[in-house]
Amino acid sequence: MGNGTPVGNMIRRLRFERGEMTQQALADACGVTRQTVIALEAGRYAPSLELAFRIAHALGVRIEDVFQWKGDA
Amino acid sequence: MTLHRAAFVGLAIVAAVATWLLLAGPARVLGIDAGNTGVFLLMAAGWGSLYAISRMPDGGLGETMSRGEWRAWLGLAFTLVIAAYSIAHAGAFQGPPLPHNPDANRVGRNVVMLLVAWLILAHVLDARGRPGVRQDERDREIEARGAGAARLALVVILVGYAALLSFSPTARLDWAVPPLIGHLLIVALVVSCAFEYLVIGVGYWRDRR
Repeated sequence: MGNGTPVGNMIRRLRFERGEMTQQALADACGVTRQTVIALEAGRYAPSLELAFRIAHALGVRIEDVFQWKGDA
Repeated sequence: MTLHRAAFVGLAIVAAVATWLLLAGPARVLGIDAGNTGVFLLMAAGWGSLYAISRMPDGGLGETMSRGEWRAWLGLAFTLVIAAYSIAHAGAFQGPPLPHNPDANRVGRNVVMLLVAWLILAHVLDARGRPGVRQDERDREIEARGAGAARLALVVILVGYAALLSFSPTARLDWAVPPLIGHLLIVALVVSCAFEYLVIGVGYWRDRR
């Protein structure tokens, strides 16, 4: 984990496209704390596969529309 | 913000006085055991910190820092004070066995009171705050790293004790009486807990930096 994961995400943009959904509302919908949403949006935490699916479901999009691989391979 | 800063400065002063009473202060203050007074003041500072955190406005550190991070930093402060107090008063355990050693009894009682105070504060910290999710996969990951670090620290300290007792000439081990060795084992546990809280706190801090 640590600073800067190889998994990028569009969570912040998707939240605002969905009526400025708050971080807390997304956190509640996914069963995580608001601080975890903050860490995700800042790219400092790579979620588990289950949490990634939960976030995509809460935002109403496919998982690949939320997360992208930014690593070398 | 100024009021919050003043409150935290006040709490820091109370905590500093408590630490001084525990580590280097006189044995008695106004006829009261200084250790008991230190424990009381430290607990008051802990309670005050929890209250100040709960009164922080939205968007402040109270919102940005997760419950686990507050718990880790407060736990680190408590365990460091307990470890420092235990080490500073370790000499009391070089006397006779505990039933006949009032100094060691007093130190042991204060250590237990500090541990109980921390357990109560940790319980209150876990119980209060907004309803909803209290811990998620990121918290569990960070805590697992902390637990691993604590295990490693405990192993290193115990191997150090074993090497010291096994390889030192007997003439240089006069200090190693059974009550003191028991006390040092407790110190090892407290230090490993402090290490766990440190790794957890740094883990959270790195995530929000």
